[in-house]
Amino acid sequence: MYMQISASTTFHTPSISKKLAGLQATIKGEITDTNGVPLAGVAVMVEGSRSGVTSDIDGNFSIQASPNEVLIFSALGFVTQNVPVNQQNTLRIQMVEAITQLEGITLNAGYYTVKEKERTGNIAKLSAKIIEKQPVNNPLAAMQGHLSGVNIVQSTGVPGGGFNIEIRGRNFLNGGTEPLYIVDGVPYGSESLASVNISVGINGANISPLNAMNPNDIESIEVLKDADATAIYGSRAANGVVLITTKKGKAGKTKFNVNMSSTLGTVSHFLDLMNTEQYLEVRREGIINDGFGPLLENPSFDRIWPDVKNWDPNRYTDWQKELIGGTAYRNQLNLSVSGGSAQTQFLISGAYQNETTVFPGDSKYGKATVNTSINHQSKDDRFKINFSTIYSRETNNLPRTDLSSEAYSMEPNAPELYDENGNLNWENNTFDNPLALLQEDYEVNINTLIANAGISYDLTTNLEFKTSLGFTAYNLDSYRILPNTARNPSFGFTPESYSTNTTNSGSRQSWIVEPQLHWKQQWNKLGMTVLVGTTFQQQTSEKFVISGRGFPSNDLIRNLSAANTLQVLEDSDIEYNYQAFFGRINFNWDRKYIVNLTGRRDGSSRFGPGKQFGNFGAVGLAWLFSEESLLKESSFLSFGKLRGSYGTTGSDNIGDYQFLDTYRVSGFNYNGVGIIEPSGIFNPLFGWEANKKLEVALELGFFNDRLLLNSSWYQNRSSNQLIGIPLAATTGFSSLTGNFDATVENTGFEFDLSSTNIKGPNFQWSSNFNITIPENKLIKFPGLETSAFVNRYIIGEPLSIIKLFESQGVNPDRGIYEFKDYNGDGNITGIEDRKFVEDFSPDFFGGIGNTFSYKNISLDLFFQFKKQRGYNSIRAQSVAGFRSNGSVDLLERWQQIGDNSPIMLATASLNPSFFDAFSNQRFSNAAVSDASFVRLRNISLTYNLPKPLKNGMNISMYVQGQNLLTITGYDGPDPEQTSQSILPPLRQLTLGLQLSF
Amino acid sequence: MKNYNKNSKHKFYSRKKMEKLIPKMKNRYFFLFFLGCISCSNFVEVDPPKNSLISETVFEDASTVRSALANIYVKMRDQSMVSGRNGLSTSMGIYSDELDYYLFDTNNTQIYQHSVLASNAIITSWWSNAFTIIYAANDIIKGVENSVSLSPDEKDEFLGQALFIRGYMHSLLVALFGDIPYITTTNYIENNEVSRSPIAIVYQNIITDVKEAARLLENSPTNSERVIPNKGVANALLARMYLYTKNWELAESTASNIISSYTLETDINKLFLKNSSSTLWQFKPNGISDRNTYEANQFVIRFIPGQAFALSPKLLNSFESGDERRNAWVGSKTSSDGLTTLFFANKYKSIFNVTESLEHSIIFRLEEQYLIRAEAKAHLGIIEESQTDLNTIRNRAGLANTTASTKETLLTAILNERFVEFFTEQGQRWFDLKRTEEAKNEIATIKSNWNDTDLLLPIPETEIEVNPNLKPQNPGY
Repeated sequence: MYMQISASTTFHTPSISKKLAGLQATIKGEITDTNGVPLAGVAVMVEGSRSGVTSDIDGNFSIQASPNEVLIFSALGFVTQNVPVNQQNTLRIQMVEAITQLEGITLNAGYYTVKEKERTGNIAKLSAKIIEKQPVNNPLAAMQGHLSGVNIVQSTGVPGGGFNIEIRGRNFLNGGTEPLYIVDGVPYGSESLASVNISVGINGANISPLNAMNPNDIESIEVLKDADATAIYGSRAANGVVLITTKKGKAGKTKFNVNMSSTLGTVSHFLDLMNTEQYLEVRREGIINDGFGPLLENPSFDRIWPDVKNWDPNRYTDWQKELIGGTAYRNQLNLSVSGGSAQTQFLISGAYQNETTVFPGDSKYGKATVNTSINHQSKDDRFKINFSTIYSRETNNLPRTDLSSEAYSMEPNAPELYDENGNLNWENNTFDNPLALLQEDYEVNINTLIANAGISYDLTTNLEFKTSLGFTAYNLDSYRILPNTARNPSFGFTPESYSTNTTNSGSRQSWIVEPQLHWKQQWNKLGMTVLVGTTFQQQTSEKFVISGRGFPSNDLIRNLSAANTLQVLEDSDIEYNYQAFFGRINFNWDRKYIVNLTGRRDGSSRFGPGKQFGNFGAVGLAWLFSEESLLKESSFLSFGKLRGSYGTTGSDNIGDYQFLDTYRVSGFNYNGVGIIEPSGIFNPLFGWEANKKLEVALELGFFNDRLLLNSSWYQNRSSNQLIGIPLAATTGFSSLTGNFDATVENTGFEFDLSSTNIKGPNFQWSSNFNITIPENKLIKFPGLETSAFVNRYIIGEPLSIIKLFESQGVNPDRGIYEFKDYNGDGNITGIEDRKFVEDFSPDFFGGIGNTFSYKNISLDLFFQFKKQRGYNSIRAQSVAGFRSNGSVDLLERWQQIGDNSPIMLATASLNPSFFDAFSNQRFSNAAVSDASFVRLRNISLTYNLPKPLKNGMNISMYVQGQNLLTITGYDGPDPEQTSQSILPPLRQLTLGLQLSF
Repeated sequence: MKNYNKNSKHKFYSRKKMEKLIPKMKNRYFFLFFLGCISCSNFVEVDPPKNSLISETVFEDASTVRSALANIYVKMRDQSMVSGRNGLSTSMGIYSDELDYYLFDTNNTQIYQHSVLASNAIITSWWSNAFTIIYAANDIIKGVENSVSLSPDEKDEFLGQALFIRGYMHSLLVALFGDIPYITTTNYIENNEVSRSPIAIVYQNIITDVKEAARLLENSPTNSERVIPNKGVANALLARMYLYTKNWELAESTASNIISSYTLETDINKLFLKNSSSTLWQFKPNGISDRNTYEANQFVIRFIPGQAFALSPKLLNSFESGDERRNAWVGSKTSSDGLTTLFFANKYKSIFNVTESLEHSIIFRLEEQYLIRAEAKAHLGIIEESQTDLNTIRNRAGLANTTASTKETLLTAILNERFVEFFTEQGQRWFDLKRTEEAKNEIATIKSNWNDTDLLLPIPETEIEVNPNLKPQNPGY
């Protein structure tokens, strides 16, 4: 039994309660947990009314109620109790901790909240408990692997970078997969404002604005996946919605919390590359194979191959160790104060962190965040207001370029980085010193402010008026300097002639106002809630990129006013206005049958006149069959629900002003005349992309909900695709943006399992497991055969396919790669012979987590797994002998007639007759292999000091690890992202201490 | 409530009507309804951004049309084959017998070794950038023709430039690719499915456009720096087209027309400075980048190793002894170990832009007109006058009068004169060899991969893919 009520009571029967309506009396009581410790902040409400109180610090409450009424006691993490008043005046309530997530949990569905049990849509939730255990920078990192249907890949291991996220697969041919992010009710622009001119080399100009959020400040992340949950967000919800809720203060004693941690991060896996001896052997062999053997002995040609002839043949440097082998240190400090009375609660939290990189030099990323929140409710509980702000400042100082590709490819006998005077060594102009890149500083400063307020007033007991207001400001300032000292001195560059500083300042502001009316009514068994609202949103962005060149000295390089010449590279502004009406009607019959209707009418300034508005809607149904009398007494099945939803959402994710026929100012000038250029082919007729979502789900709870199983099947079809339809160059453009009648289908199964395996007084063990089996398919594409997409897509296959040559290995007589000649014309040509299809989308992915706790020790293990294919090391280099290092596997090269080798003969890339063979191999099926992995994404061990100190201080210590272990057969640096030029996600180990009092 | 009525922008309901509609509405939440009502679709209509102009407004004002034309000149200078990196001067230089290539870029290597594939990125970019420029020119032609606010003089000036640009870009494409589409509209549906026209038709279209350009530019003001094409430039292209199409009479008369209105720069040391009187049209370099001209930046060898292009021994041997151009326009660099010496085109000398640039990239110059006239006259049998024109060029380079005295020997002498005069200038050498049918004789001996189909470059593979009407591919690819 969940309800352990000390007072002797009987369950109330609603049929007679109406008749027993009597006088209101004051009911008092005390609320404790099962150990008898008073509980503050428990909400006490009279059923069917909006009036309620919360328990004070000593767990006491006092409320007006009549004997026939029922009181509802609820608090997060505890089982909600319904207690009939009857004739009692004092109640002693013992709240029982919820064993599972099911009972008493409400979910944030954006404009409304819904009980986990009664939801009709698919909402996945990640709670603070799980987020806090992960030593990560960005909330998206904390979500990896935990949520079914959500596929997140970190785009770089460099701090302060970006993430790629796909919720239920790729819907659109144009590739946009970004969901809508809402932070405390405010839409949060997630597009990076970074300038390609400045940071493409270090983070791909992809800086996730969500870096501004301190994961420790997050109370929960909810991901809305199906039509029922997302349709109320209409045109922006096609790729799903991510709702982030920050922590709020709780009534009770003022609580201080201090959390300190230190993290060590390293590259988790190094490649096995050739050593100097092996490298020089294949180099020479390659030059000879290319027919330049005689020149190799002629000193006047030494300059062509200095690594072979000029450099020390006995020198060896492990460049991976030298360039990406460092340890990244992160120190983090979090402080928070929270508390308040029953009427007013507050929370103030501040955090600072500092993180270095694995590169040489003193690059670092620093972030400071302040999160404040105030809630107030009037005594009569009719008026409520909350206000919260998040402010963060990030400073990221990094080398201009990721050194990973240098680390994997530098000649192993490359000379010293510094000469005896401590200057960069250029080895008589034969060496491109990679550390010169470190002189090219890149720094970005980002300020983010998210402020929001919610005001609500109960007009009547059934009708509530609510307005949410939000404001966000995001400012990014970055610069990249290129001093002449970063270039070979023999070029003769001087600060006057060469030193350059490029700066970018980007800013984005948005405000939103959303007035709403919420109405609810209960007639006997039928409950009904209605919500209507409207949205006004405006977002403006600006970007200004300017470059200054020629400085009197490099000491002045940061000061653009000292530059000889200034050039504005970009000066742009974007205004995006958005307006909508939305609504929801929910019918609930006896908590058994639920119908949920949602809809939205959206208008977006991204479309031309007449195309701005679109309608979206969904219906969701749920049947709680475990409430049927037949199953109600079942001891085995404690919860059962069948639900389904169908509806439409859309996407206006096509950039701004695309419908205008314009000339663009590019910032260049000719002979003093500023230039303008045609910005594209005019097509005013495009409209929303449409996305239809269908879902059927079964949710089951067994053994008093100790075992919960959610399984859902979905089918999303996206049509009216907005794509850049490729054009022949003779039109003057490469593509035209327009709606295209192609349909992409995503289907999949998602299973979520959570179980409380053991719940003893000292030892607890719980597990959770999720798996997603997605399938992506292009189901309709009229005229594909004659379109420019013919070489990219196949009807019936996923969007993520790639067409490759089919490698037939090395010809034992000729020593070069051979390929299947699909069209039989005797030539291996680009179009006709790339018929081998590989798919890079995952076959399945998910995670499995276990939490053990014994007395004061708890241990969490979370494994992420993914089955997928990806480019292997052949993609980076398919042959030995180049002037760049490669995998030792390349040593297994063909050397003489009859050799059966996996790798073709060495070539120094000087003989064009070998070009096709090795470059085609890089684009063949040989360059793709299994990139599946099981990764110990997170491990966390926490020890709480057994007894609170005399001043009531709780102390806990923890060790956390991220990416500690990866099981994979993949041969590249990291199976998660398979590029060999990007720093992979780091392996991190954190030691921390938490004090609260 | 009173205020509301006075200041209301609301168009549909009076206050009274509204109160009828919602009789019990209370004051304190009336504003909610108000918010709901201002949501007329005006809110989702936005002004254009500050970094762009609505196309129609571009053609309402002469200065914005000049900006649109300036875009074309910058594109030509920076991104097209005309100048820019990997343009005709370098890539056709290594394709013919002017230059040797020392780096390892696949695309240039293919070109250097005559193993060009239809996917070659340099050739693909020449094709697509040329049509981007042609589109921009066509859009200006359309916009200017429809404009009601430009003066007739302004219209002539802009149309003249745009027509010249259209003709010039097509003239380069036809010389490289043979049959090509001639694009005269901005209609993308039409242009997306366009077919190729025979070479003769293309030349006809070019000549029509450029003649019209010359007519329209008759009275347009002369730009003192000669960085914008004028009537003389249009005529210079016209003379070249007459030469390419073997119309000797018109080539002769058109060239004469230009020669009479310009002064030859006789000091070959000053010829490539921006004030040279021989210059008909030149690009002003971008002031901020690390180069003055792309030519100096690409050709001057600063280090060995590290060089990209060096003059071929064949070119060096083609200078007669005493030719001052051999010293004035050819530089050399010796490697630090003293073992290697390489020669490079040193017509443009300044690489770094410290103060103001002294050199611009010259596209058309008067010397070509003398040699066009010399060649035309030789074909017409006017031997003496042909010799005179050739000697004008020779004498100012410190060479004695030509010894050639027959049509055939004169043509050979002119071809060689063009080689040593125009080396590393927009691939003129290759086009000369091609039109005089000397390419095989001159190139096959130095390029072991020579194939007779090398006279035409391949239509880019991706373009044939998107528009199958461009088929068939040129032979040999």
